[in-house]
Amino acid sequence: MKKFPGSKGLIFNEDLLINQSSKGLYGISIPLNNFSLSQFKKTAKDYIDPKFLRNEEKSPLLLPEVSEPTAVRHFTRLSSWNICVDTAFYPLGSCTMKYNPKINEVIASLNNIRNLHPLMTAGYIQPILKIMYEFNRLLCGLTGLDEFTFTPQAGAAGEFTGLKIIKKYFEVKNEKRNIILIPDSSHGTNPASSHIAGFTPVEIKTFLQDYSENPNDLNQHANSGILSSDKGGNNINYKTNKNGYIDINELKKYINKDVAAIMITNPNTFGLFEKNIIEVADLMHKNGSLVYMDGANFNAFIGNCRVSDFGVDILHLNLHKTFSTPHGGGGPGSGPVGVKDFLKEFLPVPYIAVERRKVKNQAKFQNEDGCCCIKDGNKYNNNINSSGKSASLINNKNYGEDKFDYEKENYCYYYDLENEREHSIGRISSFYGNFAVILRAYAYLLSLGRQNISKVSEIAVLNANYIKKKLKDAFIESDPFPEDLCMHECVLNDSVFQSEGISTLDFAKLIIDYGFHPPTIYFPKNIHGAIMIEPTETESLQTMDNFIAAMKEIKKKGKKYASKSPKKTKTGRINEVLANKNPVFK
Amino acid sequence: MNNFRYIPASDEEVKNLYKFIGIKDKKELFNKIIGDIPLINEKELDFMPDQMDELSLYKYFSNINDSLRDCGNIPVFAGGGIYDHYVPSAVDAIMSRAEFYTPYTPYQPEVSQGTLMAMFEFQSMTASILGMDVVNASMYDGAESLAEAVLMSSRIYHQNKQNDSSKSNNKKIKIIVSKAVNPYYIEVVKTFIEDLDIFIEFTDIDSIKGNTDANDLTEKLAQNKNICAFIVQQPNYFGIIEDLETIEKIVHSKNCDASLNPHLIVCSAEPFSFGTIAPPGFYNADIFAGEGNGFGNYMNFGGPLLGLFAAKKEFIRQMPGRITGKSKDNRNQDAYLFILATREQHIRRQAATSNICTNNSLNALRAAVYLSLCSKQGFKEISLLNLKLAHILHEKLLNTGLFSLKFTADFYNEFVLEINNKSINSTKFINEMLKEGILAGIPVKNCSSDEILIAATEKVSIEDIDKYVESSVKILA
Repeated sequence: MKKFPGSKGLIFNEDLLINQSSKGLYGISIPLNNFSLSQFKKTAKDYIDPKFLRNEEKSPLLLPEVSEPTAVRHFTRLSSWNICVDTAFYPLGSCTMKYNPKINEVIASLNNIRNLHPLMTAGYIQPILKIMYEFNRLLCGLTGLDEFTFTPQAGAAGEFTGLKIIKKYFEVKNEKRNIILIPDSSHGTNPASSHIAGFTPVEIKTFLQDYSENPNDLNQHANSGILSSDKGGNNINYKTNKNGYIDINELKKYINKDVAAIMITNPNTFGLFEKNIIEVADLMHKNGSLVYMDGANFNAFIGNCRVSDFGVDILHLNLHKTFSTPHGGGGPGSGPVGVKDFLKEFLPVPYIAVERRKVKNQAKFQNEDGCCCIKDGNKYNNNINSSGKSASLINNKNYGEDKFDYEKENYCYYYDLENEREHSIGRISSFYGNFAVILRAYAYLLSLGRQNISKVSEIAVLNANYIKKKLKDAFIESDPFPEDLCMHECVLNDSVFQSEGISTLDFAKLIIDYGFHPPTIYFPKNIHGAIMIEPTETESLQTMDNFIAAMKEIKKKGKKYASKSPKKTKTGRINEVLANKNPVFK
Repeated sequence: MNNFRYIPASDEEVKNLYKFIGIKDKKELFNKIIGDIPLINEKELDFMPDQMDELSLYKYFSNINDSLRDCGNIPVFAGGGIYDHYVPSAVDAIMSRAEFYTPYTPYQPEVSQGTLMAMFEFQSMTASILGMDVVNASMYDGAESLAEAVLMSSRIYHQNKQNDSSKSNNKKIKIIVSKAVNPYYIEVVKTFIEDLDIFIEFTDIDSIKGNTDANDLTEKLAQNKNICAFIVQQPNYFGIIEDLETIEKIVHSKNCDASLNPHLIVCSAEPFSFGTIAPPGFYNADIFAGEGNGFGNYMNFGGPLLGLFAAKKEFIRQMPGRITGKSKDNRNQDAYLFILATREQHIRRQAATSNICTNNSLNALRAAVYLSLCSKQGFKEISLLNLKLAHILHEKLLNTGLFSLKFTADFYNEFVLEINNKSINSTKFINEMLKEGILAGIPVKNCSSDEILIAATEKVSIEDIDKYVESSVKILA
């Protein structure tokens, strides 16, 4: 009998904190101040008109009343009900649930860094601006694009930013183009972002199947978009008509002068690299249209090929996917957008500008406002590199900048935030995007270095193909693309489980009891009962074998428990119909 | 091949993996997948720095951190949308739990009950603080949240117009925005609506009091047609407490048909204020959008922050973002999950209420832990402390005779002063104060260069305030 990680254990019960209240208790330390007696005595109405004050009767403040230990135990117990990357294999396809390096958390929690006010004078925060500048250069190197903006706070915000850039580009060219072509296998955010950016998204069919969902049946699963026709036992014909790639002839039907761009996820959500992408890009460019790439799946080729080599003009990346920053139970993320030279002028503000300035005094120098530009600049710069001479960790030669030698020259790079750019789309976020996420991603790249960067995608692709082949050997009829190598993830349809009377939803709930987080299910929507598995490079062979063994066992024995699972979790299968019919949200 | 510590595949295992899938090496693997597209060769990776061992990496960032001690470890009197509140150790302790920070969105609620129940508590607590019916499980930041509020309002407006056949359905609609709304928020709103047939009209501020000019608002509402919303910030960008009672009456009485009245959208960058002053819900606000970063989050040089989004219950199906709800499981226990998902992009695609997917869930969780620790009493006391310290500083600075009062209306924890010494503008003053180890404030955006926006939080002490006063005397006298 195989030992799976899901084993018996003690599960704590825990009530809502508000139900544990005891009048007057609180768990926070209020700073004590040496107020004078008159200051101490004053209350709010001594400072402001009483008509503005909060009235407890009319606006009751319903916060819990608990001490620090009660609050700490409460949230610690809650945390024990989560499955997470650190406790279990989390093969959530398209989400790149890789390990989150602990040193990056330590770095992001360094006290002076996390306490920085965003409107701090630039002269005081040179190292911070430099990190943003250098990370920008690194992303340019890895993608072949020319400049990134970090202001979008997540992937969808990146898409929106990219689409606004497209809009502005055509506006400045005085062309009216309203259509964004989107393959039907795309992430749901793509059409949604197109819509709010003022475009009309048009779907291109990439993969037709002979089954059809009942369009009237909108009783969807709240969390995964499951159509309720997925009950098992239906006569579903899994025969496919297309091969999972963008069909050039199909695409041609949609190309006209209204098309602003194509939004293409590569590798696509079938886990396949778009073989025709160069041809697609050529077609678009010949039509005067742009190529936007959703880089959510960049983990599939980071360090091994560049998007500029296959015609991409605009790209967003997800730092919380490829660049190892934690997913945070749903965020924060970061969705930097990169563009080619001709689109730079449209990037959102602010952006980091850099100039070389003469330094009067090598250790310190003053800017015109009298502020110190880099405090002990040399000291921290020289400590970091074995050579000890470079002002920068990055070899700037590749970007047409001289390598700066502190020993010979009294110059320094000065970084500043600029708010003016003639055709900028404007501002996307309150400040400069999610800096603490950028910081972690930068640290991740420094850890990897040029020696290891290409290994990430190599192993991610190897692992996914290992799982794909192992599963193909076990349930061949479920692999929609048995002839192809996949990239970082593989997709199955539900035929094998269906024949055992197990729906994809049942499968997902069953595998929880084996101690695994379920894969992404029912996506992409054009694979019936899709099961999308992304192992990432940070999972071992043992873990993958264990997972595959669990899948095989579910096929054999799962039916009996199918509708009752999961059984070992704190909470069993949840009634979604009830929750949506009569929403209780506080 | 060298092993790398985040990748648990030994050389032997890698070899076996290749063998198993019938591929020779990396080159063949990628060539088979990506075809003619060139592979990056080693030379082309020259732009990447050398790999760093963990100790060197730690030292590198630790040195950067040390070099920032004169700006990351000083009293902060700067606000302008983000305020330096203290984060209790218990918050960091809870937030360091991988069970919270390493999973993703709770697509599988049975294995995400911790996150979901905490989100439910976040929604309950913030809804109560704001006096609003329903709060979602977070947006990115205050600015984006406000932009989404505008989009939501326009959706509701179009919907109501459609139902009302007597009115012509003009696609072009307007929002009226108080000039006292944070200028960064306004910039983001502009970016969002630029291509959407939504136009902005501004209302003036009362140049003496510093709040939204009610007469001008009345006029603007009368002059314009197809107005879907009026946006006001509480407390406003200048720290002034807006008279929402008057504003609400004006905004909601435009039409006799209530469904076509403009929405009152209240935004806020400092929801701590609602521990003392009446919350937006009390004034019948339709939508609230704001910045919740102060609840247990660090300033992080401006991100990640915490977008708060709330609305009246009747608008719940038009709300963007994720909403956590309560249900029962098959063992008849209380259970939590995301509800009303048919509003969302992964189901509705372009018909979704928003494109948001990943949000700032962990920041919301921080807020939940923080507000729990605060509890009712602590929240009120900290809110009052902010107000008190700001007023003490305000009074002391005016007493020096070096500053003049800019606005007369009541303020919460932030205020604008004019520097009397005309040879020193606000930027210069702030730079000089930094040398004294104080972040004195920020220049007031789009205003005269001798005006400075100053905020105080519970993190500054009476001693810090006295030092502020002393240093400014030294610089300005």
